[in-house]
Amino acid sequence: MKSKKMWLSMMLVLVIAIMTACGSSGDGTSSSSNTGENTATTDNGQPKDGGSIIIAVQDDPKVMNPIYAGDRVTLTIDQSLYAPLFNVNDGKKTYVLADSDSFSDDHLTYTLKLKDGLKWHDGQPLTADDIVFTMDSILDEKQHSSSRSQYVFDGKPVKVTKIDDLTVEFKLPEVSAAFEGALVSFYPIPKHIFEGEADIEKSDKNNNPIGSGPFKFKEYRPGEYVTLERFDDYFAGKAHLDSVTYRVAKDPNAANLALQNGEIQMRMVDTQDYNKLNDTGKFNMLTYPEGRLQYMVFNLNVPSMQKKEVRQAIAYALDKNELITASYSSADFAEPAPSILTPDTLYQTDDVEKYDYNVEKAKQLLADAGVSNLKLRLAYTNTNKPQTSQALYIQQKLKDVGIEVELLPMDGTAYGNRTLDMNNTDFELSFGGYIMGYEPDAYKSLFLSDAAYNYSHYKNADFDKLWNEAAVQIDETKRGDLYKQIQQTVANEMTVYPIAYTKAVVAVDNTYGGVEDANPKPVVMLEDLSKLFKK
Amino acid sequence: MNNYIVRRIAQAIPLLFVISIVSFTLIKLAPGDPVLSFVTPNMGAEDVERIRQNLGLDQPMYVQYVVWLKNVLSGDLGYSLVNHRPVAEMIIERLPATFGLMGVSLLLSLLISIPLSMIAGSRQNSLFDRGLSLISYIGISIPSFWFGMMLIYFFAVELHWLPSMGMRTVGMDSAWDIIKHGILPCTVLTFMNVSVYMRYIRSNTISQLEEDYVQIQYAYGATKGTVLLRHVLKNVLLPVITILGMSLPELIAGAFITESVFSWPGMGSLGISAVHGLDYPIIMGITMMSSVLLVVGNLIADILYGVVDPRIKTTG
Repeated sequence: MKSKKMWLSMMLVLVIAIMTACGSSGDGTSSSSNTGENTATTDNGQPKDGGSIIIAVQDDPKVMNPIYAGDRVTLTIDQSLYAPLFNVNDGKKTYVLADSDSFSDDHLTYTLKLKDGLKWHDGQPLTADDIVFTMDSILDEKQHSSSRSQYVFDGKPVKVTKIDDLTVEFKLPEVSAAFEGALVSFYPIPKHIFEGEADIEKSDKNNNPIGSGPFKFKEYRPGEYVTLERFDDYFAGKAHLDSVTYRVAKDPNAANLALQNGEIQMRMVDTQDYNKLNDTGKFNMLTYPEGRLQYMVFNLNVPSMQKKEVRQAIAYALDKNELITASYSSADFAEPAPSILTPDTLYQTDDVEKYDYNVEKAKQLLADAGVSNLKLRLAYTNTNKPQTSQALYIQQKLKDVGIEVELLPMDGTAYGNRTLDMNNTDFELSFGGYIMGYEPDAYKSLFLSDAAYNYSHYKNADFDKLWNEAAVQIDETKRGDLYKQIQQTVANEMTVYPIAYTKAVVAVDNTYGGVEDANPKPVVMLEDLSKLFKK
Repeated sequence: MNNYIVRRIAQAIPLLFVISIVSFTLIKLAPGDPVLSFVTPNMGAEDVERIRQNLGLDQPMYVQYVVWLKNVLSGDLGYSLVNHRPVAEMIIERLPATFGLMGVSLLLSLLISIPLSMIAGSRQNSLFDRGLSLISYIGISIPSFWFGMMLIYFFAVELHWLPSMGMRTVGMDSAWDIIKHGILPCTVLTFMNVSVYMRYIRSNTISQLEEDYVQIQYAYGATKGTVLLRHVLKNVLLPVITILGMSLPELIAGAFITESVFSWPGMGSLGISAVHGLDYPIIMGITMMSSVLLVVGNLIADILYGVVDPRIKTTG
């Protein structure tokens, strides 16, 4: 009975495989004619107004209120719905709602001026009152905003006051070079809407959000889509497109098919799907640094990992370039990473110990440490394809230096839980990845001795001191020096093995222009959709 | 009869109670922490702790259960941990999509499987019978998500006949548009159901045809068609009702996967997101609703049984 079932399924698979093969050859010819049409329209040059775009997102947005946004989907939608005070790209600041900002000489008072004539989507003016209200709501513990601790320094919150309608003053309880970095994710919410609301998080008003960005809210159908339409009074000029729709597409394979079918026009895709989509000739495949580091952690809770020589030996035993090719198919999608800071982060440096592949040195280090017959366990998320390939590669490679690696693929949530357990000794090696933004101070939650996300459990008071000094150092040269020391310390101590700075791939239907002006950005795909236009 | 219904409902209440305890415990014992699913390293540890307290997740499990139960009894399914919207509201807005899809495919499955499998049963081992059996095996063997993907590939991407996902074209609100979007997911569900029902109905037809009363009808000179329609059909319908009641859980599970593949905005997609985020108020809400459905479904099946076959007493 069972074998009969199997036989039948195999026959069917065969039949369908043949049909699919025939089908895709047909597809090849139709797409080449498409490419021809597209090149004809590309020469149009000037942006046109009108049209719309449908962008696939994986799930429903959470609370459509930026003081609670933390997940990819909500952040992506908020990007068009709300405007920030300013953006920072590659260390360069561009003002959005803000007109200027400055620090007092003692670096304790920060003054922010807003542009004149800013408006909320309901036509009300956006003023200093809104900034004060937003900051107060974030700081109000009863509103349980997830970003509160970014504005609390040593237990004391920042104080915000209105100077005049367009000027706000922030008073810091202590010097913090990280404060300005935190403001990058500060998106004001309207005071006239939320004032007096006991629980903003559960407020019905979040279902009909009033923002200040280039697009305003039009319609939300749970499980289906969120549609935004052009906000004509946007201070930085009207958007080209009439509307933007974020459509929920749960299944990544089905979403890729919908993309090819033209039902959706933009989507962040997996690198494995790059060639398949690129070959259709229908898409502009944006490949850009994601601001993300993929790394391996040594768990110092386990005695065998406490010897620095062993950790260094493992680093020498791995060929980073091979490791990257094995897991991301090509260096086009991931760059070898020397440092724990990503290249978009301030003060990132390549001037660290790089551990070029050297088996002899690895063996020597292990011998010096008096270690033989080492058995290690490597944990990773079972659904993560690059991590799986990396694990297999590392298992193979470490065999060459006499280290046996047992693989522990785990369910995502279980893995998250284990790694956050401060006393975890379930495995010696594990993988992780982070996107922390341009401000290096944000990284300290992964490295300080008692930090919640200190996955390597490396404890060193001097190292902590470097982080804390760097956070309050105002002199840029001195600050840069401190962060260089930090990066070198991690490399020398080899508590974290940086693997790669990965890239994001976004497929945009090539009937759209202005993609570069819209500025590809980590997490949210495009920073400013108002620049996008239909050719 | 009324007495019987009241008694059955009274029996269902402790059952639902046990289901709620078991599912609550299982969700809570599942690895992972709902808060971690929306925590980023940018958030300080104190923010995480405050959020956990605010959601009541710092309380012992039995306290959380009692709070949940009290709320449910007063008609409040609670707030989603992730979306911060009332669970009842979120489930209700998804119901029409799921019921529409399940209802239509259920109806189609019956309309297709009953006549086809009766013909197959009456012509045992014919080419028609073997063909149907093969199709039925295929339907049972292949995973629904894979079948769904194949349909999308052929009918949406290659032929451009039908949309591949969602329930409507953005901004459009016509019945025809929704029907067009429903064709592919409905096909998957119907095919799956037909495959299951067909096997039962076919074997039941075969055993009915061997009964004495059929032989007597033949002896009186009745044709095969009349026998099937007048006599066998009624007796075949009986087990179909039981199968329907029994296959309700499978139907719901199948609809969940199919909804996810086609991004059909029903309870299935909601449930799968909730499981990923360990959003237990939603998981509990959906579990309890499915359980109620199951109990009610079985009750209706039993009552209908009595209607179709008066020999079965429902008073006992």
